[in-house]
Amino acid sequence: MKLAGLKSVENAHDESIWAVDWVPATDRRPALLLTGALDETVRLWKPDELSREGTPLGGHCLGVVSVAAHPSGAIAASASLDSFVRVFDVDSGATIATLEAPPSEVWGMRFDPKGNTLAVAGGGSASIKLWDTSTWQLIATLNVPRPEATRPSDKSVVGKFVLSVAWSPDGKRLACGSVDGTVSIFDVARAKFLHHLEGHYMPVRSLVFSPSDPRVLFTASDDGHIHIYDSEGKSLIGAMSGHSSWVLCVDVSPDGAAVATGSSDRTVRLWDLSMRAAAQTMTNHSDQVWGVAFRPPGGAGVRSGRLASVSDDKSISLYDYS
Amino acid sequence: MACVYIPVQNSEEEVRVSLDQLPRDATDILDILKAEQAPLDLWLIIAREYFKQGKIEQFQQILEEGSSPEIDEYYGDVRYERIAILNALGSYHSYLGKVETRRREKDEHFIAATQYYNKASRIDPHEPSTWIGKGLLCLVKHDLTQAYGQFKIALDEVPSYVPALLGQACVEFHRKNYSDALKLYKTALRVFPNCPAAVRLGIGLCHYQMGQLGRARQAFERVLQLDPENVDALVALGITDLQTNHADGIQNGMEKLQRAFEIYPYCVMALNHLANHFFFTGQHFLVEQLTETALAVSNHGLMKSQAYYNLARSYHSKGDFEKAGVYYMASVKEIEKPKDFVLPFYGLGQVQLKLGDFRSSLSNFEKVLEVHPESCETLKVVGHIYVQLGQTDKALESIRKATRVDPRDAQAFLELGELLISTDAGAALDAFKTARSLFQKGYEEVPIELLNNIGVLQFERGEFELAEQTFQEALGEGIWLSLIDGKFGHRNVESSALAVQYRDLTLFHELEEDGVSLELPLYKVTTLFNLARLLEQLHDTEKANLLYRLILFKYPDYVDAYLRLAALAKDRNNIQLSIDLIKDALKVDDKCPNALSMLGDLELKSDDWVKAKDTLRAAREAADGKDSYATLSLGNWNYFAAVRSEKRGPKLEATHLEKAKELYIKVLVEHPGNLYAANGAGVVLAEKGQFDVSKDIFTQVQEAASGNIFVQMPDVWINLAHVYFAQGHFALAVKMYQNCLRKFYYNTDTQVLLYLARTHYEAEQWQDCKKTLLRVIHLAPSNYTLRFDVGVAMQKFSASTLQKTKRSADEVRSTVSELRNAVRIFSQLSAATSYHFHGFDEKKIETHVGYCKHLLDAAKVHCEAAEREEQQNRQRLEVARQVTLAEEARRKAEEQRKVQMERRKQEDELKQVMQQEQNFERVKEQWKSTNGGKRKDRSHADDDEGGHSERRRRKGGKRRRKSRKDRYEEEEPEYGHEEMDDRDVHPVEDRENDGADDAQDILQAAGLEDSDADDDAAGGLSAIDRRRRAWSESDEDETAERPESPMGGEKGNSDENQESGDGREGQGKSNRYIESDEEAD
Repeated sequence: MKLAGLKSVENAHDESIWAVDWVPATDRRPALLLTGALDETVRLWKPDELSREGTPLGGHCLGVVSVAAHPSGAIAASASLDSFVRVFDVDSGATIATLEAPPSEVWGMRFDPKGNTLAVAGGGSASIKLWDTSTWQLIATLNVPRPEATRPSDKSVVGKFVLSVAWSPDGKRLACGSVDGTVSIFDVARAKFLHHLEGHYMPVRSLVFSPSDPRVLFTASDDGHIHIYDSEGKSLIGAMSGHSSWVLCVDVSPDGAAVATGSSDRTVRLWDLSMRAAAQTMTNHSDQVWGVAFRPPGGAGVRSGRLASVSDDKSISLYDYS
Repeated sequence: MACVYIPVQNSEEEVRVSLDQLPRDATDILDILKAEQAPLDLWLIIAREYFKQGKIEQFQQILEEGSSPEIDEYYGDVRYERIAILNALGSYHSYLGKVETRRREKDEHFIAATQYYNKASRIDPHEPSTWIGKGLLCLVKHDLTQAYGQFKIALDEVPSYVPALLGQACVEFHRKNYSDALKLYKTALRVFPNCPAAVRLGIGLCHYQMGQLGRARQAFERVLQLDPENVDALVALGITDLQTNHADGIQNGMEKLQRAFEIYPYCVMALNHLANHFFFTGQHFLVEQLTETALAVSNHGLMKSQAYYNLARSYHSKGDFEKAGVYYMASVKEIEKPKDFVLPFYGLGQVQLKLGDFRSSLSNFEKVLEVHPESCETLKVVGHIYVQLGQTDKALESIRKATRVDPRDAQAFLELGELLISTDAGAALDAFKTARSLFQKGYEEVPIELLNNIGVLQFERGEFELAEQTFQEALGEGIWLSLIDGKFGHRNVESSALAVQYRDLTLFHELEEDGVSLELPLYKVTTLFNLARLLEQLHDTEKANLLYRLILFKYPDYVDAYLRLAALAKDRNNIQLSIDLIKDALKVDDKCPNALSMLGDLELKSDDWVKAKDTLRAAREAADGKDSYATLSLGNWNYFAAVRSEKRGPKLEATHLEKAKELYIKVLVEHPGNLYAANGAGVVLAEKGQFDVSKDIFTQVQEAASGNIFVQMPDVWINLAHVYFAQGHFALAVKMYQNCLRKFYYNTDTQVLLYLARTHYEAEQWQDCKKTLLRVIHLAPSNYTLRFDVGVAMQKFSASTLQKTKRSADEVRSTVSELRNAVRIFSQLSAATSYHFHGFDEKKIETHVGYCKHLLDAAKVHCEAAEREEQQNRQRLEVARQVTLAEEARRKAEEQRKVQMERRKQEDELKQVMQQEQNFERVKEQWKSTNGGKRKDRSHADDDEGGHSERRRRKGGKRRRKSRKDRYEEEEPEYGHEEMDDRDVHPVEDRENDGADDAQDILQAAGLEDSDADDDAAGGLSAIDRRRRAWSESDEDETAERPESPMGGEKGNSDENQESGDGREGQGKSNRYIESDEEAD
């Protein structure tokens, strides 16, 4: 497997780019790349040529920390440090809804594979908020239970600070990563907490389920490791190390054979899952890489794999994945 | 059967005395000799016979009787015989004196000998044999010159007197004038061709000394022909045979020596050589026997020395160093000049080195070097001793010389490399590489230590791939290869059991059960450990982890592996696991200073202050105060205690600071090059406000710290930046913080980013400050303090914008939105406090909210005013634009007219020149008037606009002039357009009076409020005070991260085997001069 750099856009945003996602293709247009940045804008990009699609979308204060596209490709959500989620029409840019669940702030968010629910990592509220995508009403709050204090003297045990969320490909499970490194698994249908996955002791900023094996979960942590968990069996299948600083983001290829990670060490790495070893390291970014995203399959005549990465260096890079 | 006949006096009869049946009592013979008045020569013959038979007393008795005064009287005219007897006695005493070792007796013998000779001379001063005797006496007394003189007198008496010639030859031989000696010997031979074989022996020896071995052999062989029993010749021939160094030659030589030994078992030379031979054949018993005999019979220093040497060597090779030392010493004592026989010095040196007496050993080896300055082995040994004595320079000199003398000596290069490791890693690496290639060229196995050292040096130079190759080459085949290839790494681990994964060895048990060989020879452990360290450096933590565990599986006492595992766990923030691992290490060695130091560090990290202090103290004691790490840590502990305590007492603080300083300086005294101690001292000085001094220190430390991959000292950069900050050099501080972030932290360190934000804040760069803070929030989402800080920054920004005398409506509008954000942030925080304890007062947040709201109200008024103003501005601009347009139109019309006129002019030109000129005049006139009119219009417009800024006018004017030059070719509308733009951007100067007053009031209010905030934030207090105040409001949550871990680097010393010079990781310790981090309101 291999990554080949296709194109890079310098100064794609005016400030650090913090979030990236692919808007799936619709009947009328191919998939688009969606980015969010500290410059408080959200921008859309045509695939391959990476030319700007439409004007930058405003409507946020403070930096945009995450973006998520609806599986239909019609709508997307972006969230910023001011704890607002803005849901908008991808093609027109018009705001559909503004979501807020104070005092919960907003970090990672993901639409479920069917597109009925938006899961939002609620930061210090130690919960995941679930929003109905038709009515844009809050339908559930999944609370991460507080861990029992290991030492009675330890007063510092507070609720988990939830940073990231991921849906299993069948939509039945939700995983969330928190600042203290624990990963929590929820049964979505029953809105019930199942168990924790341990192994990280530093923030898990990104996690993703394998598309080929719904039990397998990949997590990226500030401890520089990528863990591979069996989310049902509560066991650690493997750990991959190689980044020299925090691993900020992880995404799995549509074929489930590789994961890509971005790190504070300014590199993007491609990991071969059969070898459990780094297959390639891309060094084109000059600052922390905050987001990596494989393009979802589908769309007219698009067969080749694409990976996009965004960085604090204000640039977007696009790679061919084969 | 030899016999003498003593004539019976007054008769023809003779008494037959059989020489081999001489009576035991010499008196019997003497009686006969006296009674028969036997000729004196008979006396001498009989005495000589006694002597030959070893009956010295009888010999002496006869001769003394024979030289008594009665004899002198009686045989008064028998001169020659009397002289001969005296000379015999003299010669005998000379011999006694020569053999005698005690000085007094020796001298007595010599005196006696002299007396006899003098007496002989008195009888006949011309008798040459007396002179010969005297000469020999001088020879024995080593008075070569006088001996030569005596022999010369003898020669003057009797030219070509053979004994004198031989004597002179002997003198010359001793003077090492071998060719002269040879000439003399030859002369003697010519004069007396039938002389004893010994003369030829002399010739042979001369040839031998002159290196003419063939001739020497001939001479010796001739001697043997004449005298097959001549021991000296046999020995000499034997030695020459031995020196051929061929098996045959040695065989022959040995046979000859043996024959010599059989003929005369007391020939020291033969004994020594035989002993030497048997030493090499390993027959130590024979060696001892032979040398003991040699020692018993020898009186010659060099010979004895050789005998002792043989004996010493024999003991040396048997490992009896004490005895060997004694005999070497004895051997050395027999030698006058090391040049004569240098080997025992070498042996003695070796034994002394072995017994640890370096200085004596060194002096002996130096004696060897005086004789053989190019002896590679000796140079190496001397180098080695200098190392032991700590004189690295001299050691280097010796070893360098050794490598120069023999550039193929791998061992020498190895030693050179080891010497250079600490001073010049590059040169050391080169030396090691040379050694490696020499080993390879010689098809020898390269020692693993050498490869290990090469690997470590490459590691230290950052050549990680090369280092990995080298380590793998050193390790060869083994289980580790499979581990590195990741063959056994994938074992499902129960998630809950993962906590102990670092301590888990079941993997290896399973592998062993599966029949996989887990062979790990002890001598490879160091290299394996280094390889693991390298993998760690390459962030291949998982593999490193496996290797460390393999080491522990095989060698559970390998403390360093525990410590590295602990460091790995610590890096991953798994503090509990790390502590457990260290406790494992402490189970192996509960006094291991490294483990204790690390434990203390971890305890500090988990905020266990009291425990940490105890642990660090224990570490210090365990290391006898020699480990500066523990001392430094205690220094840090004190420093943190000084700046952290919530119930701050200035007295306590001063004590702690003083203690910290004391500890740092203590370390510095011991190790003047300790960067961390210097940094610590700088910090304490900075705390005390001595910024200039501390800046110097930090700058030096920073310089020193760059250039070694094992020294990572971001702290000193931060400290330097803090000093810049404290001195108000904000731009420099910003640069420094940014570089530090980039260089050391991949921009991830929130603390440093916070410092950066703070600097921007002080420099009133509000937007930079805000952006930086937003980045920090993004990096550290759970830190709510940061949100508060952002709120404050936005509030401050808004307030300062509103205070500005010139501001556009846009600015005011953005201020309003900023204020709304600030309000939102504060409100969120206040809501969040319901389930979080952030360490700030809810009331305070309320105050901020209130203030921001107030500002917001004020801003609304401002905003309206600004918008109104903008509106008016826009109208004014519109008017102005129309005026300009009108003017434009007018001008264009004029221009057209002008063009027309010009055209007409040209036509006219063709017709009439005069008229043309007139025309021209008129055009000129017109031109002028147009300009004037325009200018006037313009000033009108300016008036209308109410006097725009100076700059614009200037710009406009310039533009106009330019336009004129361009003969109005330029598009005029563009000009107007630009002016509009200008106007838009420019701050509006005049505003309505009442509006301004209104704004002023609010501003005053805001200013007052603001200055209150300022007082807290930045008022007259020093930065440190501010921080303290901020801290005093802190809560548990924050303090956990505020006293940034004092321990920078992991402490994991790679190996106990220092000789192998493995990757010894610096005992990293660091501390930060912690500046106020958050915005105190």
